[in-house]
Amino acid sequence: MIRIENVTKVYRNGEIQLTALKGVSLHVKPGEFVAVMGPSGCGKSTLMNLLGCLDSITSGKYILNGKDVSTLSGNELAYIRNREIGFVFQSFNLLPRMTILENVELPMVYAGVPARERRARALEALARVDLSERIKHRPSEISGGQRQRVAIARAIVNKPSVILADEPTGNLDTKVTVEIMRIIQQLNDEGVTVLMVTHEPDVANYAKRIVRMKDGCIIDDYPVQNRTVL
Amino acid sequence: MNLMENVKMALASIWSNKMRSFLTMLGIIIGISSVIAVVSLGQGGQHTITGEFEKIGANTVLITVESSKAELSDYITLEDVKQLKEKVPYIRYATPVFQVQGQANSRLKSKRAYIIGGTSDLYQVDNIELAYGRFYNDAEYEEGKPVAIISNSAAKSLFKMEDVVGMTLDIGSDFAKKSFTVIGVVKNQIEMFSDMTNEDNLPAIIYMPATTLKQLFGMYGATTQVYIVADSKENIESAGNLAVKLLENRHGNRGREIYKAEPLMKQLDQINNVLGIFTTFVAAVAAISLLVGGVGVMNIMLVSVTERTREIGIRKAIGARTGHILFQFLTESVIISCIGGILGLIFGIAGAYGLGSIAGISPYISPGTVIIAILFSSAVGIFFGIYPARKAARLDPIEALRYE
Repeated sequence: MIRIENVTKVYRNGEIQLTALKGVSLHVKPGEFVAVMGPSGCGKSTLMNLLGCLDSITSGKYILNGKDVSTLSGNELAYIRNREIGFVFQSFNLLPRMTILENVELPMVYAGVPARERRARALEALARVDLSERIKHRPSEISGGQRQRVAIARAIVNKPSVILADEPTGNLDTKVTVEIMRIIQQLNDEGVTVLMVTHEPDVANYAKRIVRMKDGCIIDDYPVQNRTVL
Repeated sequence: MNLMENVKMALASIWSNKMRSFLTMLGIIIGISSVIAVVSLGQGGQHTITGEFEKIGANTVLITVESSKAELSDYITLEDVKQLKEKVPYIRYATPVFQVQGQANSRLKSKRAYIIGGTSDLYQVDNIELAYGRFYNDAEYEEGKPVAIISNSAAKSLFKMEDVVGMTLDIGSDFAKKSFTVIGVVKNQIEMFSDMTNEDNLPAIIYMPATTLKQLFGMYGATTQVYIVADSKENIESAGNLAVKLLENRHGNRGREIYKAEPLMKQLDQINNVLGIFTTFVAAVAAISLLVGGVGVMNIMLVSVTERTREIGIRKAIGARTGHILFQFLTESVIISCIGGILGLIFGIAGAYGLGSIAGISPYISPGTVIIAILFSSAVGIFFGIYPARKAARLDPIEALRYE
């Protein structure tokens, strides 16, 4: 599924070099639900960006679904982001000028899905996150929890094998956090692999496995005991 | 990702920034409308002039005497004109044109007069349209009869009525006057001016036989200008050449290149040429404002790219390729320029008619002008949109996502 081996990432800014990842190896099997934890600046966001094919690795190897993606071009990476990966962000990252339905349809626009099929699949994805009303509204007109559900619908609409969630509940209160985690657990139960960055132990406890990072290295990797199941 | 999708997206984005989009378009609107107005007025002017020339006669040739080289004996006499018409095969009409300033007195009024003398062919050559009466005939020409055809405005001014056929009028200079019978009234040819000025201020235009004019003013009776009309378009050249040859024979001045035959249509070409150059020049000046408009489009697109950096990041994260983003922004700038172009076209045509009605020119809007305007504004959109669109397409997705 996901296999990275000895991956490093170095940012260069003029004279200054910053090594964000110092030889990280990680193997995630299909159907896993991994929480990546660690203090800020530990490299967990860099890891997510690399896994999400948003950034290129400096050295090492990244195999996604059996394909070596470390050598792919920008447009090939865009294709992978479109088909294989679904992103869920802390700040939702919906397009403010589009309606909810249009936001969910957008990944399919780039995948070249015909308009009618797009509509049907978007409605289906929205139903899976329990959002069938207010779909003609704009993101600013719904609550934070609803926005994150729209973002999840957008992430799953192209049926990706992996969902990458970067602090998905960071901007939400406890009650809404539970709602969102229930949806993510459901998706995981249906077979979608989930990688989630969080710094909250409560949230990490919804996952099946926890990976701890510090200073650009993985320092701990263990299965969750007494997992919170909704 | 098809074209319709892109156009829809671009329209939504333009619509969400209505005021800004409109102000951006304004540069294009002003550019296109001024080019359209100038070009269609210029072409309208050419059409008007061409029309006038064709009315006067497409087959008319002007024979002139090169006055710098000519002596009085080289000037064209009335007898020459008669010979031209009788001896040269292709000539249908021939008339000299004498133009003299004089005076015309009725019982009511005295007036400046602009007197034109010719043969009876002047009627056809000058394409004179009569409101009342008739033109003088060959017999009246031969005998030098005191008959006159006067302009409509002169009739109104001198007699306070329009149909003045049969009235008498004293015509001549301060020293010698003669009593004339009015036999015809010309329809007003220069209505544009009579609308603007009082007809009392206009000089009376009077046609009379050249023979009469010669007697009246005691002139030598030779001219430097003779109009001939060929019987067909094909014979224009030969008629002119033969006329020159005949004149040279009669005056015995061959080789001195005294006479010149110039088809009026050739003059028309020259005028059209000058007008065309002038129109192109003014249109080029106007087109510069189009460039300024294009820079405005680029400016706003750059602002838009910066403003929407995060949007670009999101789109890239969910799978937009470089080409998708490039095309999206390019579509936007082309649509802005195209809408500006279409609005400019409408305003330009309206402006051309507005200005044309003031200047007395009816504009001519050719399909070519319309097509070029639209294509050109699209080209402006592409040219000035490509840089901002490339900038957007090349944004790094992570950087773009972090942008606040």
